[in-house]
This record gives sequence, C-alpha cells and structure tokens, in this order.
Amino acid sequence: MDYKHLADQLDMDETEFLELVALFMDTTRNDLEKIRQGVSCGDFSRAAAAAHSIKGAAGNLGFTQMADLAEKMEYAAKGRSFEDFDVYITALETRVDALIPT
Amino acid sequence: MEKIQPYTVLAVDDNLLNLKMIEKSLSREGYQVFIAGNGSEGRTIAREKHPDLILLDIEMPGENGFEVIKKLKEDAVTNPIPVIFLTGISDVNAKLKGFDLGAVDYITKPFHPLEVLARVRIHLKLSIATNSLIQNQAAKLLQVAQAQSAMLPVPENYPAARFGAYYKALQEAGGDFYDILDISAHITGYFVADFSGHDIKTSYLTASVKALLAQNCTPLYSPRESMKMVNAVLREILPEGIYLTACYLHMNRSTMTMTLVNAGHPPAACLPVQGEAYLVNSQGDVLGMFSDAHFGVSRIKVSKGDRFFVYSDGLVESVGKKINWAAGARRLLPVFKDLRSFSFADAPGQLIRSLSAENKTPEDDIVVLCIEV
Repeated sequence: MDYKHLADQLDMDETEFLELVALFMDTTRNDLEKIRQGVSCGDFSRAAAAAHSIKGAAGNLGFTQMADLAEKMEYAAKGRSFEDFDVYITALETRVDALIPT
Repeated sequence: MEKIQPYTVLAVDDNLLNLKMIEKSLSREGYQVFIAGNGSEGRTIAREKHPDLILLDIEMPGENGFEVIKKLKEDAVTNPIPVIFLTGISDVNAKLKGFDLGAVDYITKPFHPLEVLARVRIHLKLSIATNSLIQNQAAKLLQVAQAQSAMLPVPENYPAARFGAYYKALQEAGGDFYDILDISAHITGYFVADFSGHDIKTSYLTASVKALLAQNCTPLYSPRESMKMVNAVLREILPEGIYLTACYLHMNRSTMTMTLVNAGHPPAACLPVQGEAYLVNSQGDVLGMFSDAHFGVSRIKVSKGDRFFVYSDGLVESVGKKINWAAGARRLLPVFKDLRSFSFADAPGQLIRSLSAENKTPEDDIVVLCIEV
C-alpha cells in the first residue's frame, strides 16, 4: 500500500499517517470483535454500529475496499441479516493484518 | 505580554481514529481540541470547557448525536455553542433534522481533514461576526434619541397580512405594542409584546424594538433565530429590570406553515376552520433578560381560513379577580369561536365589546390581533 500517497491525499506526513494507521488497526480489531459478539448473540444493532464505525474510519483514511466491506456488513445487519459475515470478517481481518508488515 | 487564547473545538465521536484525525488536523493549525468518545462525556466537556465550536457525530451508541444536540441546546450554558454534525448518513431528512435541532452545518463522512478545518474556520468566523453584529446593532440603537408616537401598523396598510387589531393603553405611554413584518411576498411576521414597565422609558424603547425586528426578522433567519438576535441586542440596551414578554407568529402562506415563538407571553389561540379552538402552549424565557434565553417554538400546518388570536396579558389576566393567564386564556376559547361570524378585521374589536358587556373592565393595557390564513 502506498502510504506516502495516502498521507499526501490527507495533507499529512507519512509518520503522522502511520500513527493513525496503527490506531485504525486497534480500533478496527476491537470493532470486529464487537461484530463477532453481535453475530454470536443475534444482536444486529451492535454489529451494525461496529460496522458503521469501521466504515467511517476506513473511509477517512482512504481505505476504500475496507470501507465498502464494512458498509455491506452495516446494511446487512440493519436489514437483520448476518449472511456472509464470516467471509466479510475474514476479508477485513486479512486486510487489517496486512496494513503494516510486522 | 498577554497570552493569546486559542480557539477551542470539542469533537464527539465513538471512533477514536476519527477523533485523532480531527485532533491532529486542527491542533496543528493552532486550535485546542477536546475529544469525547460518547455523547454524555461530550456534554460534560461542553459544560466545563465551553468550547468555541462542537463537532458531533450522529450515529453513536448510547446517546446519539440528535439527543446530544437537543440537550446541548436546552442547556443555557451550552446553547450558544455552534454545532457541526459529522455524519455518514446521506439521508436528507437526517440533515434537516440536525438543522432543525440547531446545528449550523454538517460534514459527511468520510471527511477530509482540510474540509473539517475549512468548516470549523468559516463557522467560527460566522459566530464571531454574529456576536459583533449584536454589539454593533446595540451601539446604533442606543443612539436612538426620540420616541416615536405613531408606531402601530394599521391593518389597511398591510392587506396581505390579513389581520385585525385592537389596541388600548391605560396610560398615554403604554407598555404593550405590536408590529407587522413583511418578510417576503408570502411570509408575514406578527409580533406582540408587553414591556415590564408602563412609563415613557418603555415607550421610547418601542422604537428600538421595532428597528431591531426590521433588522432581524428576515428570510435569513428562522423565527427562533430572529428572536435570539433580538434578545441578544435587548440584553445590551434595556435598562436594569426592564424586559419584554413577547409572542412572534411567523406565517408562511406559501408552505402553509405557522411558526410561533413564545417568550414568556400568554399562549396564542388557534381557531381552525375545522375543529375546536385550542391554545398554542409553548413556554419560553422573556426577551432582554437572559443572554442564553430559551424560547418555546410551535410549528403548525395551517389551512386557508384558520385564525390565530395573539394578545397581551391584559386580555386574560385579572389581578382583581385573581385569574391567571392559563385559566384566563382557556375561558376565552369559546368566545373566540363565537367571533367566527365576524371578519378577521372586526374580530378583535368585537371581542373587547363582548368582554366589556360582561363588565370585565380592563386592568392593564390590551392588544389583540386576529390573524387569518
């Protein structure tokens, strides 16, 4: 991922941007956990709220694919469906893990 | 050398990443940023720190943004702080609801830090300009030296306003007055007010209030905003202990909507073409007393022929008989109904005649307007 380019887009330097990426990874993992809990106890609104949170944060950093995945989950949960959530969650986790190579 | 105080912004969002982004982009431009992760924490910080502006997320767990702004606007301490919504919702109704609840603007997510900065700047400038406008208008009005006598508009000069009026002052210089405001081709404002005193000083102030109404009852401002501007200037110019109770009725004959702002005034009465007469009860603070006054606002869809009666307390309050506003106003509802057979122009005079026939001699100044849609 071209962090320099994404940072430029937001009028930030790369170091500042990477700090935000690290924070994004934390908050998104936390939100994914909330989605999992929502799925396991049938709490659609909890899952929708966490997906909404990921959508906003990913969109703000320019991670459009992740924002799209989160949006799909948000709309599905608002429509009281958890269909394909395991696929979405895995896809999001993979992308989050790939953000900063450890 | 005195330290320059930075402008302060409070950001309320349940996502920490969004908060940090806002904090970074605003703090590097010299703003002091407070952050809150939920609505209730946001309100606490707003009360304690009194920021110059608030950025507020709509969709949050617990108290959502709509609930937060409602409470902020009901609280005299936080009421004047401009609020900008942050929202991922593209639904126009949500945006309109935000504006209706008192937001000055919204930013849709995902947001760009520079857009946040630009909107924060413009709204801080607007807020500063509004405050300076208030100071400016106050300074000008203090120069008004001469009381004007013929200041009550006569219905004949305002045919489009479709109203009738009755006015009687107990003393030469009455404490009651009314005004009619041609806001646009389809919008008319009707203002009825009562000064707390009944001497020449209040009569002289009537000129100032009329000028203020003309300046602030414009299509630029919502009825509530108009009254807030009037209140802010009156706070600056009214002598100690003098205030006004007022009722501002804003009639839009294009959208067929009546908006009523009540500032400590007796309730207006609505006499619909179909249905029973009722009181429009919306309570609010008086004008010219509190800098962060809260006004009751009622909005009613109207039909052609509906009538509204707006009047001063002299009509409904009887000290001798110990009748208060609410009871007095309720007693008048059947009387308003009986006036249906009279034209709106004749209804106020006829109302007074029927009350006099019952030997209810006025104990105070009286003004009555009958407005027909």
